[in-house]
Parts: sequence; C-alpha cells; structure tokens
Amino acid sequence: MAVLTDRAAFEAFTAAARAKWDELWAGDHWVISVGISECSIAKGALETYKHLELVLSEGHIPAVLRRVGCAGWCFAEPFIEIKPPGSPPIVYGWVTTDRVPELLDSLRRGEWRPEWVLGVRAPEAWQGIPPLQAHPFLRAQRRILFEHAGVIDPESIEEYIAVGGYRAFLRALFEMTPDEVVAEVKASNLRGRGGAGFPAGIKWESGRRTPAWPKYVVVNSHEGEPNVFKDRRLLETNPHLVLEGLLIGCYALETPYGYNYIGGEHALALRRFQRAVEQAYELGLLGDDILGSGFSCHVRVRTGGGAYICGEGSALMYAIMGQRGQPRTKPPRSVEEGLWRRPTVLNNTETFASVPAIIRNGGSWYASLGTKESTGTKLITMQGPVRYLGVAEVELGISMRSLIFDVFGGMRPGYRFKGVQTGGVSAGPLREDELDVPVDFDSLTPLGGMLGSGGFVVFDESVCAVDFARYLVGFSRYESCGKCTPCRLGTPALVEILDRIRYGYGRPEDLDIIRYASKHIIELSLCGLGQVAPMPLLGMLERFQEEFLEHVTERRCRAGVCPIEAGIAAR
Amino acid sequence: MELKVPRRTTVDLEPLRRILEERYRPRDHQEAQELIVSACQEAQRLYGWVPPEAAEAIAEHLGVTINRVYGLLTFYADFRTRPPQRHFLWLCYGAACYVAGAGRLVELLREEYGMDEHGDTSDGTLSVHVFNGCLGVCDLAPAAQLDHRAYLGGLNVEGMRALIERLRSGAEENNGGAH
Repeated sequence: MAVLTDRAAFEAFTAAARAKWDELWAGDHWVISVGISECSIAKGALETYKHLELVLSEGHIPAVLRRVGCAGWCFAEPFIEIKPPGSPPIVYGWVTTDRVPELLDSLRRGEWRPEWVLGVRAPEAWQGIPPLQAHPFLRAQRRILFEHAGVIDPESIEEYIAVGGYRAFLRALFEMTPDEVVAEVKASNLRGRGGAGFPAGIKWESGRRTPAWPKYVVVNSHEGEPNVFKDRRLLETNPHLVLEGLLIGCYALETPYGYNYIGGEHALALRRFQRAVEQAYELGLLGDDILGSGFSCHVRVRTGGGAYICGEGSALMYAIMGQRGQPRTKPPRSVEEGLWRRPTVLNNTETFASVPAIIRNGGSWYASLGTKESTGTKLITMQGPVRYLGVAEVELGISMRSLIFDVFGGMRPGYRFKGVQTGGVSAGPLREDELDVPVDFDSLTPLGGMLGSGGFVVFDESVCAVDFARYLVGFSRYESCGKCTPCRLGTPALVEILDRIRYGYGRPEDLDIIRYASKHIIELSLCGLGQVAPMPLLGMLERFQEEFLEHVTERRCRAGVCPIEAGIAAR
Repeated sequence: MELKVPRRTTVDLEPLRRILEERYRPRDHQEAQELIVSACQEAQRLYGWVPPEAAEAIAEHLGVTINRVYGLLTFYADFRTRPPQRHFLWLCYGAACYVAGAGRLVELLREEYGMDEHGDTSDGTLSVHVFNGCLGVCDLAPAAQLDHRAYLGGLNVEGMRALIERLRSGAEENNGGAH
C-alpha cells in the first residue's frame, strides 16, 4: 500500500475500497465468512475454516473464503456466513467440522437448512428465513460499536474504510478544531465505559487545559475483571474502530502520543490491534504529518502481565512505565500528572470506540440514545446459566429483567434464577424482585449494584451466597497490590471470617464483624480496588441474609456447597 | 520454605537475543523501561518460564537493573520464575466458571494431586495457572486451556481426573510449544 499524502488521495483510496467491497458482494461467486476470534477458536472455528478451505479447493463451488471477527453470538459458535449468488448472506450457527460437508451439499441443492440458521443479514425475511434482527438475542439490541462486527475482516484496513471507517477522523482533522471535537464529545454526554462513568468530554477538556507538555492519550484495554470480556472481543472484531477513536482523542488533545495498554492474556486482541496500527502506518493514517494536515500521531501498544489492579488509572500508568502496577494517592489527577508525570487522558476501549460515531453523527444524536443521564449504547456480557451467552450491545436504560430474559434468553432449562451479580467484583447482587431497575450508570447504585464495565453474572439455586461472596472477596484479596494496609490486611480478614462461616465455625456476631471491618476497608483504602472490595460481600449479606444466618445458627448450607460438616463434627 | 529455583540451568539464550536485537530497539531510556514486561513475555513464550539468565539478558539489553526485572516478574501473575512441569493448564477462575463449579476443580487439584502454591502437582505432570480473570469463553464454563492450545470445556471433577490420568500416562503430547 502506498502512503496517502493528502485528503484527495484518501478519498480515492476509499472509492477503490468501496468498489472492491461492492464487487465482493455482487459477484457470481459464493462468499463464505468464518467468524474467528478467541471465543470461536475455543469451539473449533479454525478447524471449520480449514475444512471449508479443503472442500472449496476441490473447485465445485466458486467461492471467496474470508475471516471475520466475533459477532457477539458466542452461544452459536463456530458460526459462518454464506452468501450464495443471488441471495442475501445467511448466518449459520454451530457449524463444527462434521457439519461442513453436509451444509455445503444442502446449499448446493438449494436447501437452506433452517434448523442451523440464525438469520439472514438483510432487512427482510428471505425464503422463509427470518432476518437476524428478528432473532431474540438481537431484537432488543442497538448495534453501533458492533455494527460491522462479524461482517468485516478485522485484519483489513481496506474493508474498514470501505464501510465508512476513518471518515470521522478525517472530519475531525480537516473540518473541526480540537476544541470543536471536545465540544461534540461533551455534547454527547458520553460517560466512561470502564466503570466509573465519568464524562469523557469533561476529562478531555481538563486534559486540554493543563499546560504541561507532552501530553498522552491512553486506551485502557486491560480488562482484568473475572466476568467481562467485551473489550477484547471489540479489539478482536474491529480494532480499527478503537484506533480511530484514539486518533481522534490525540487530535483533540493536540498530542502525537497515543498508547493502548492491553492485558497480556488477550493474545488475539493484542495481535489484531498491533496489526491495525501497522496498517495505519503503512497507509499514512499514523505517522508524521498525517494526510498533509500537519498533525502527527504515533501509537504504542503496551501489555500487562496479569494483575487486575493495572486496570486502575494510576496503576496502569506505572505499569506502562515498567514499574510494578501499584496505584498512588490522588491528587494530582492523571489529567494533570499521569504517564511520565505528564497530563494523561485515560479512557476505556469502549469509550474510544464510541467516539467515531459521535463525530460522524454529532453529539446530540448520541445524546438522544439511551437515557438523559446515561446516553448511548453499552456492551454487556452476561454469564451464568442463561440461554444466549455472548456480547450484546444495548441502549442504556433497558430494564435488567428484559436484558436477562429477552436479550440473553433467560435461564437454561433446569436452572432457577436466584440472583444476578452486578458491577464485576465491585458491587452487590440483585434479587428477582429487583430486576425492573433500568440498567444505566445511576439507577443500580441505590440498590447496592453497579453498571461497572457491563459484566453481569446470573446465578442459580446451586450457588451458595456465602460461598459466592467468598469467591468475590477472595478475588480482591488475591489481586490486592499490597501497597496500603486496609486492603492488604482487611481483605484476607474478610476471607478468613467467611471461611469460618463456610466451614461451620461461624458465630452470629461474625456478621457484625463483617460489617464493621468492611466499613474500615471501604473508608481507608487507597484506591478503587480496596474501596469497593467488600461491596459484593455486603450486598450478598443484605440480599441473602437468611442464608448467612442459616450458616451461623443452624449450620446449614442450603445449596450444599459449603464444607459445613467440619464445624458440626468439631462441636 | 525452601526455594527450588535452579541456580544454573542450560538455557539457549540465542533465540531470545535475536528477538531482542530485532524487535526491542528502544529509542530512549523511557521506551526501554516500557519494554521490560513485553520482553519478559517473549522469554516466557520461548522457554515456558523466565530463567534467571534470560532475565539478566533482558536487563542488560534494555539497560535496566536486574532488580527492576525481577520486581516485575514477581509482581505479575502471568510470569513463572521456575520451569513448568510437563504440561501446562490454564484454568479459568472467572465468575462464570466459578458459578459452574470451578472451585471444586481447584479443590480437587489441591487435595488429590498435591497442587502447591506455584500450581505444580506433586507428580511432576502438570503446572496449573488458576487464572484470576476470565478466558472469555464462558459458554464452555468451567473452561481451561491445555498447553496454550486446546480448550477444554464443561470440566467437572470426573473430567479433570480423567484428563490428569491421560496426561500421566503420557498419551497426550505437549506439542503446544513452550508457551
């Protein structure tokens, strides 16, 4: 690829990419796309791809075989999309290798195998196959970040540009001042997707106001929570979208230094984002004097080594600087003194990915989505025994009930809903009678819950509230960086008390000690990890108090999970 | 506790040196510091752990002290400072896997197979990394990844026992590479 040197060259490149894209879908050949991401590889998507390659090499079907990213429907993986000539693309789920020959044979005979179909990627039904949008998993979704997920090849900048990619960046670069970009993001009321929900526009504005130089813009793709996997799917399926958001952020801060910090476990996300950066350099969308605009931007990718605390802003910056990732006291805030003690704007992957659409369609358009205080869409991952596991993108404000029972399909047969853990490891659960609450940044808080980064865990009657609380606090204990005493010593103390209860040695006053100790940990801890570490426990204690009492008074675990006999035998 | 770190091992540093020469060329000291973690990851990918010699080579190449490198190696959960056993199991301990019973698998490994705090089973077959995070394949919960390659899903106590017996008998080759 030749380096594009001005805007006209980019327009010409776009036109060529679009023509090629249209040709791909209009030709007299089949187009077969296989969804390849970490989640589908786990289910054999690479084998499916290889098998397809083998079958197609026999030459009976003139076909283009492509790789696309994750489309969010993890429950149906491995999935492939097939577009025979003259038909719309049909998405098939559960296509393991053994089904490949049978499926292709059927299709050549004109049988559409509706039992394996998720839907056709078209606005209307076709040959009796309903459109994807009619699928229960997708019906209530509003896809903006995931609009092209599973459609474009994540390793092709050309395809991203063909579907409108980098238009927002060009618009910012040539038609807007940095101040106007910030104003647009402020108008959208986009709130940080990492958990805290701080308005991104205000953060960007204070970053602009700080006079020190150089400044840094950092994407937080660390994602270490034990129940969230949306950022890595986003990076795996559309890395250029995140990169475009980062570029716009750098332009708004008028700085040439962008970073993406990606958790070391997310190997494929890391590789695809690195590839995206390389392609952008090759095309001249990164580098010095981008498209002759005078604006330069360089993006560095850094990785972590598996420490949850590195998702915390100041810890993440120390981690990038090659120090142990431990947080520090604030102020100064990161926008004043962050990476290399320079002003740093840090936002979540999803936040940056939301920016291109805001620049393209305007802040007021974005503000019209979702609710007044929580605008836009949110990627949600739901775990536990629900029917449609995967990543969903919904407008904020949808009710928790609808999210669990419509989008994610409700409980699998044989499982009874007991509760849903919210906010990762940072908040408490909701019971069945509380599910009508809207899912947004503010409504869950009064109930002891939290939107967090959008990871929810549904659990059923086979999960014991005490044991689950022990798991969640145990996570924080393990991940405590050890810098401040309340967190370092407080979280093990909570785990110890919970273990006492689990093993049948608990006393009723233990519940008061939990509340008392938690108060200290929350009030005295240095950073967010410690300040919220007892929250899941307090939430469980409040919502399922009778279970805790049963453990300490009757020595009974109704789920049959806790090794409570030990205490009974000892008495 | 007795430390079982081998003092001197025979590690071929050539491949690591080549990678460092090719891809780790910091322009300044700032960038050199930023590259330590990623260089250690390269070493772990090559050897399955970060041998002391490799850590020294990295420190020397990037112009930082060995203390700095070990400070990071011991801080981050992903790094191993002792060699892994014959097979490596990445056991997901995310919330979805917990809800589906991953806790019982950890208990089994500790109680029946003598898994120690480094994740090594007592018979030398398996090194387990109980991953305090999420592998992101929650519909396979409880999930694990064997030898950085094959995913295992829906694990229960019997399945885990059967897996370890298979690994013990040598039926399963570790051809997933060191990392």
